[in-house]
Amino acid sequence: MDPSSMNSPELQNLLAQEKQKAMISEMISKLTSACWDKCITGSPGSKFSSSEANCLTNCAQRYMDMSLIIMKRLQQ
Amino acid sequence: MDSFSSPSSGSPPKLSTDDIMTQLRTQLEQAYAEEFLETVRGKCFDKCITKPGSSLSGSESSCISRCIDRYMEATGIIGKALFNQRH
Repeated sequence: MDPSSMNSPELQNLLAQEKQKAMISEMISKLTSACWDKCITGSPGSKFSSSEANCLTNCAQRYMDMSLIIMKRLQQ
Repeated sequence: MDSFSSPSSGSPPKLSTDDIMTQLRTQLEQAYAEEFLETVRGKCFDKCITKPGSSLSGSESSCISRCIDRYMEATGIIGKALFNQRH
């Protein structure tokens, strides 16, 4: 194994990948929290109703739609 | 910049890229596990312990158990929804 320098391109590349993965994990975590609050209004059951499950899916996708709109607006 | 070793003790062994990445991933996993636990505690406390009594009732305990399962399931649903986007 090569001893690494903090500036090695290999390390920088691996760190960039981990950063990307961490940003995705964080988005999933925040979205799950927000969409749970919006969609799971009663006491948790032993499974999700189809309306609860659909609400969670819709919630995530509408958030992404909104994100795109915001980005486009800010680029104008 | 500061050196962590005094000149007389020689240079410390250098960490390989693999070592650095392994440590980073381990620490990230731990941080995510803690964050997840904290979130689940908050959500399930809100949903299940509405009127704290002098001990946890059976229905509160089953609610907590279902809540944990549902929250994990919700995490999976959100993850899939994000990567199954069709524009």
